[in-house]
Amino acid sequence: MKRTYVIGCGKLGSSIANELSRRELDVIIIDNDESSFALLSDDFSGVPKVADATDLDALANIGVENAGEVYITTGNDNLSLFLAHACAIIFKIPYVYVRFDDPTLGILVQGQSNIKAVYPFQLTRDRLSLLRSGSEQQ
Amino acid sequence: MKIVIAGGDSKAEYIIKSYKSRKNQLVVINPNKAVVERLRTACQIKVFHGAPWSRLAFEQANAFDADIFIALCEEDTDNYAACLMAKRMFNAKKTICVVDNPSNVEYFKQLGLDAVISSTYLLAQNIMSESSMETLTKTLSLDDNRVTVIEKVILSKYAICNKAIKDIRFPKYASIAAIYRNYQIIIPNGLIVIQPKDTLLMVTTPNNSRNLLKYVETERASILPVGGLAGVKAKETSSSEKKAAPAEEKTVEKKAETAKTTVKTPTKKKN
Repeated sequence: MKRTYVIGCGKLGSSIANELSRRELDVIIIDNDESSFALLSDDFSGVPKVADATDLDALANIGVENAGEVYITTGNDNLSLFLAHACAIIFKIPYVYVRFDDPTLGILVQGQSNIKAVYPFQLTRDRLSLLRSGSEQQ
Repeated sequence: MKIVIAGGDSKAEYIIKSYKSRKNQLVVINPNKAVVERLRTACQIKVFHGAPWSRLAFEQANAFDADIFIALCEEDTDNYAACLMAKRMFNAKKTICVVDNPSNVEYFKQLGLDAVISSTYLLAQNIMSESSMETLTKTLSLDDNRVTVIEKVILSKYAICNKAIKDIRFPKYASIAAIYRNYQIIIPNGLIVIQPKDTLLMVTTPNNSRNLLKYVETERASILPVGGLAGVKAKETSSSEKKAAPAEEKTVEKKAETAKTTVKTPTKKKN
């Protein structure tokens, strides 16, 4: 089975990694700061690896090239953008999921069918307006 | 020309100053407040404070339709995002992306950026070309690695030495653009005889450069067929055959200019 990589072990990245590991997927989580792996749960069965995600050669060395899917959850939109393109175009990974804070960056990943982008900003806004219309009805 | 300069500190200042004098329309965007102030006073120019990878900053600074977009930020990925934004959304004609990590040069190009520059990469290339001086070969790549100019000193043991160009069956994928001899430049024709210590300036494509060097360096005793099996046979009859004249047109422009003055030297010698 192909491995799943999560790049960026922040709050979102670690929680995705925990969830995937619970579903018994073969997960590798990458961060450049070892202390951030403390966010992983005790029963996390994947492999945490320290690597600099700005260095594609380093990522290739730990096998990201052969990933089945990649979740990109770095705190830096520009880095996420570059990683999404690199994973999708250079490494040709079939499923690339990426989180962007800035929704305008979405235009730059459009047309790349193996990149799926998520924007917490839009999700929050849409959810809030839904909640609001819900409470108005009551 | 409309030139957008995004990010950078002293590099930006230098580029602003060198372009400002040429009456270009400059748009300067910088994400660092302190640098913005410094550039304003140092260059006497309008500087926008904003992130050069955000749509808002582009719109505020009116950075549309740039002829050249230069990204000089510290982080490679910031420059990547800025260049993509400029190219895809704001119609920049050419983007120049400066990177720190030399291996990003290849990656960024693969991802569609047209010019990627790394000082470490350039330094390494320079060091390589300087250190290959002992083999007396210098190479220069032009036009995004589609043309290579090779400088090669001819040793007397080479098979092509002391032969006229028309007789050596020079490979078709390359041409001799010029010959340096005794501080003079000769634009070669078929009658020129290659002499020891001549420096040949040859133009070829990067994938043929190795073959070309192999051909030139072939030593006298064992001249190998070049450009196919017909080589050996052709060599015997080559003097009677038409030789593709070394193309004068293909000469490197810069060299050609200096060469014009001395172009007659070879024919005089010959007669």
